[in-house]
This record gives sequence, structure tokens and C-alpha cells, in this order.
Amino acid sequence: MDRSNTKDDWSLEVMEKARMSSIQLFLLLSGFLFGSTVILAPAQGAKNDAWLAMLLGGAGGTLLMWVYAAIALLNPSKTLVDILKEKLGKVAGNIFAVLYTWYFIHLASLVFRNFGEFICTVTFPETPMVVVIGLFAVILVYAINSGIEVIGRLSELLVPVIPLVVLIISLSLITVHDFTAFLPILENGITPVLNAAFGFISFPFGETIAFLMLFPHLSKKEKLKKVVFVSAAVSTLLGIILFFRDIFVLGSDLMARSTFIPHLTSLLIPGLNVEPLVDINLLIGGGVKISVCIYAAARALSQIAGIDDYRKLTGAISTFCVVLSIWVYENVLEMFNWAEKVWLYYSIPFQIVVPLLLLLLSLRKKSKPSNARTES
Amino acid sequence: MIIVLAVFAILILYDLQRFIRKKERARVFALYIFFMAASLAVSLLLASGRRPSGPSQWIEATLKMIGVLK
Repeated sequence: MDRSNTKDDWSLEVMEKARMSSIQLFLLLSGFLFGSTVILAPAQGAKNDAWLAMLLGGAGGTLLMWVYAAIALLNPSKTLVDILKEKLGKVAGNIFAVLYTWYFIHLASLVFRNFGEFICTVTFPETPMVVVIGLFAVILVYAINSGIEVIGRLSELLVPVIPLVVLIISLSLITVHDFTAFLPILENGITPVLNAAFGFISFPFGETIAFLMLFPHLSKKEKLKKVVFVSAAVSTLLGIILFFRDIFVLGSDLMARSTFIPHLTSLLIPGLNVEPLVDINLLIGGGVKISVCIYAAARALSQIAGIDDYRKLTGAISTFCVVLSIWVYENVLEMFNWAEKVWLYYSIPFQIVVPLLLLLLSLRKKSKPSNARTES
Repeated sequence: MIIVLAVFAILILYDLQRFIRKKERARVFALYIFFMAASLAVSLLLASGRRPSGPSQWIEATLKMIGVLK
């Protein structure tokens, strides 16, 4: 096989082969969005008003994901790397593609670390974190190497467990609720709410930029916007339900002081230990998120380097992700501090600036032929 | 340290024999060696208790330098 000639043919061939149904993409997106939010409880900066921040952030996040879907629909059968190369030129496109590869690797490492911190804090305190993360990585590498179709089917099987677990825990706690715990509304003004809402757009909605490497695999492209909208709405709703459950049970003061809020809530069920259910949720959500990130990174890097199969790089990238997850923070406090203060600003170029630029360039290119036709 | 070296030796031997059997191109080897060498170097430093400053600190320092963060 003459690889120099058939590089593009190969990617087209793979595009044709690997297909995902709308349901699979919906569940993958939902699992991704739920990812580490199951243990980290985003928008906590707004305290009592986190539900308002989630509503605003959810709306903004849906809009942002709509932008990603629009880019994918304007460039059908093209991954993020292809789009970057086409719109920005080969050199700049490749530079941005390398930066995105780094971003996906970094994101995977941060989720690995969230997972490791949680498991080593609450479930296996005696086990070294690298062992917990390493074993999880081995399973995920196997899933990623099996292909995107397998990840899709796995999400079909596992992601529906997440809302089920939320429902079980919420119903179990129905007797210990204080339904006025979220009052008063806007006690500290609108500024913390807006800040938390912006943070909620970045984490988790903006992180779905990784799906621009997956969208070309969707079998029915016309359903993409609907899938994106529904998954964003479902995730926002689930996040708000989780927030209300937690604040009704814990109260705002305890909620503000605890590290892993949903875990603490699950410990308060009278006469029942459902702690492992939170672990299961994290395993599923975190697993989906890390798989998508490593897949996106390996796929992007293989496209940049002109390698015919992304699977050749998944082992090395995953190993690097595991090491990076241990290297990246010294302790759990640093992890939370960095996620709260730095992540948002670091993510803006990757999640907002470049995608908006790509959307504008895609729209301009699309409008050009029609203008030419009108002139003639 | 020995455990780290042993883990990496197993990983590299497992992957490289596959690459050699399939006669992979130099690019695959180069990228593979880059990631594994970086991982090995950082792992050895972490295992020896000499934690180098990480990417999170570099990113934070860069954002502070350009005035985005205070």
C-alpha cells in the first residue's frame, strides 16, 4: 500500500467504517459531561445560588456546544485537525493541532487525577494513587484500542446507570431533606453567580471540543444539533437535581466546606451504605471522558504525523497521561485551587476563541460560492 | 525506582516488538520514544523525590506573566 498517496483515502476509509448512532453519541456526550462533575460539584463558587449559575452556565454551554456542532456540520467528514489545517493553512493548522493534542492529553490527565484523588481519599486510602490510576488506564487503553464504535456501545450499556444511581441516592435521602436550605436567593449578589456560570460553561461544556474529533463518525449527521442540545439539557438538569439533593441534605455551610460533596451526601443515607455507587458513577463518567480525550489526542497526533492508525500511539499517550496526572499537582488542595482559578482562563482559547474563528471561517467559505453564483 | 524501570521496560518491550514485526515507519518510533522517554524521565524524578515543576505551574506562571491572573 502506497501510504504517501493514500493518507487521505485512508482517513476517508476509516470514516466510512467507524459509525456511531445518535443514541450512542448522546450517551457518550452525556457521560462525558457528567464525567468528574459527579464528584466535584461544579459552580460551587455561587454557594446557595449554584442552581442559578448552573441554569445560566447550562444555557451558555449548550450554545457553545451548538457552535461545535455547527463547525462539524459545515465541515462534514472532517475532524478538528482537518478543519484547522484547511482553515488556517498547513503550518498554523498543524501548530494549533499540536496545541489541541496537548490540551486533550492534559484534560485526560486532570480527570485521571480527579479519579485517583477521589478513590485514594474515600475508598482505598492505603493504595498508592499511581496504582489506582494505572489500573484504570489499562482498562481504558483496551477500550480505546477497540475503536470508537466499542466506546459508543460501552456508553450505551453503562451511561444509563448514572441517572439511575442519582435517582437511588436521591430517593433514599427523601426523609432527611430541608427544602429551604437553598434560600435566600442572590444573598451575595449576581457577580458570584455569573462567575460560577462562566466556570460551568468551561467545565464541563467547553471540554466537549474533543468531540470535534468524533462527530465525523455520526451516522446521521442531520441529528447532530438535536443530539448536542438534548445531551447538554439532560446534563444541566441532572447537575441541578444533584445540587438540590446535596444542599437539601447537607445545608449550604457543610456543602461549602466538604471536598467531595456527592460522596458525603451518599454517606448520610440512614441504615444503608451506597458509597460504592458514587464510585461506579465516577468510573463510568470519568472513563468515558478519559477515553474520549485520549482517543482525540491519539487521533489528532496520528493525523498530524501522517500515521495510518491512531492505535499505535494510544499506549504511549496513555502512559504519559498517567505520569502527568501524578506530576501535575502536589496534593488535592492544589488540584481544586488550580481547577477553580486557572483552568477557566487556560481553556478560553481552546474552547471559545479558536472554535469561533473556525466557525467564522467555515461560514465565510460556505457563503462564497453562493455569492459567486449570484454575481454570475 | 526499580519498579518504575521494570514497568517501563515491560511496556516498551511489549510495544516495540510489535512495531518491529509490523515494520513501522520512523515517525511512529519517534513519537513513541518521545512520549515514553518523557514519561520515564518524569517518573524517575518523582520516584526519587525530586518533583520537577509541572505543566500546571508553567501555565499558571505564563498566565500571571501576561496579566490574566493576579
